Amino acid sequence: MILLESHNVIIENTLTEKFQKPSALDVQFVDYDGVRFHLSTPERKSVLLLSMNIRCWEELVKYGAQDVIQREYGKWIAPSVEPEYNVSLQFDTDQVPEGEERAAFIHSVALMKRNALAAPFERAFLKQYQLESIPAPIDGSAREEGELMQIHYRDEEAIYIRASHDRVTVIFSTMFKEETDRITGRVFLQEFVDARRLPSIQNAPQVLYSNREPPLEIRHLSGLKDTEDVGYVTFVLFPRHFATPDTAAATISRIQLFRDYLHYHIKCSKAYMHSRMRHRVTEFLKVLNRAKMETAGEKERKTITGRSLRSFR
Amino acid sequence: MANTLRPYLAAVRSTLTAAMTLENFASQVVERHNKPEVEAAQSIEVLLNPLVISRNENEQVLIEPSINSIRLSIKIKQADDIERILCHMFTRFMTGRAESFIILRRKPVKGYDISFLVTNFHSETMLKHKLVDFIIQFMEDVDKEISEMKLSLNARARIVAESYLTTFG
Repeated sequence: MILLESHNVIIENTLTEKFQKPSALDVQFVDYDGVRFHLSTPERKSVLLLSMNIRCWEELVKYGAQDVIQREYGKWIAPSVEPEYNVSLQFDTDQVPEGEERAAFIHSVALMKRNALAAPFERAFLKQYQLESIPAPIDGSAREEGELMQIHYRDEEAIYIRASHDRVTVIFSTMFKEETDRITGRVFLQEFVDARRLPSIQNAPQVLYSNREPPLEIRHLSGLKDTEDVGYVTFVLFPRHFATPDTAAATISRIQLFRDYLHYHIKCSKAYMHSRMRHRVTEFLKVLNRAKMETAGEKERKTITGRSLRSFR
Repeated sequence: MANTLRPYLAAVRSTLTAAMTLENFASQVVERHNKPEVEAAQSIEVLLNPLVISRNENEQVLIEPSINSIRLSIKIKQADDIERILCHMFTRFMTGRAESFIILRRKPVKGYDISFLVTNFHSETMLKHKLVDFIIQFMEDVDKEISEMKLSLNARARIVAESYLTTFG
């Protein structure tokens, strides 16, 4: 499995099971970036309540997450939000669609986190479309740009999105806590930058990476960390990446998971190196053990009381 | 490259073979103690001249002989950040298993990456030439292993980046 999936497997499996055979339930689980879910049956077995807590909810609402949720889940939104959570959906097992439609419905619910995070991206794509239609000013002054949207989706990391007339820029700030991660991460990010030279992926968005130095777009922001372990990854999305609703949706799903994808593979390669080292170390041990002399054929001698004799060191 | 490696390893091998003439020697300072003199360093007259064999400034071996023990420290080649990290991971991995490695010193001598301590008890229970073989093979393999790991890391990074970016197609 090289690519990560954007839906939540626990939601998908649990809902599939519970829609078929309703039973009392109370589970809490998490997703990437510290998103928490709570799936329970507070009143009756047949009514499931799914709540999501996402760290940057206030920011997402500002960029239209509520509308996206409304559009995607409409009638399933619970009348009141569960305390400590940001969004609640409520499903009555008698009312959920049947057959094919049910599978599609469950899948769309499993994409809840993705949909919430998609709001600022959709907004940026729309803004780009609007800006494109405004002709360039004749007096040569700079063209209007969309607002810079900030999503602080983790404690020390954020996504910045800005639309301009010909592209949408997405900037990830990354933070590597550990020295090993930092160096491995740099190797990976460098490959992301270089990979675009291949003819097969000429169409991919341009990727830029800078260590420590924030890119121009966000340099004016305050509160940016200035340490060695911070890096910035910039994706430049061109209109072809969100030309049709389908490609736009795919692009959003893919780019949201960039950080998780990167870190997942850093951890994987560390695990691989560990297993490799373990193998190598056992090889070394074998070589060392070859040096040990065979113990003489004579058995250990004991006195009549059962004590053994040892040479004095 | 390989043609400077061979004389380097040959020099380490012959020096080590010559230096590994150890005998049982009880401490002169504390009664009923028997310590590796190269570590205790309490009687100067039983310590022999330390020797550095150097291939270049990044690859060196320090051999410190004494009457009943010999300490060998290796500096492993680290050309860049990745190799430094890999080397650190690898030596940490080994020193964590020092118990089963018997002759491995838990902590490297300052300025080196990994150290071995061979005492007369080790050379009594193990074959001397095989011990030397082990150290030479270690030196050969550790470089190979680190460069292979580095290659595989780069290859993995490339595949990861490509398969991510092709999905935008």
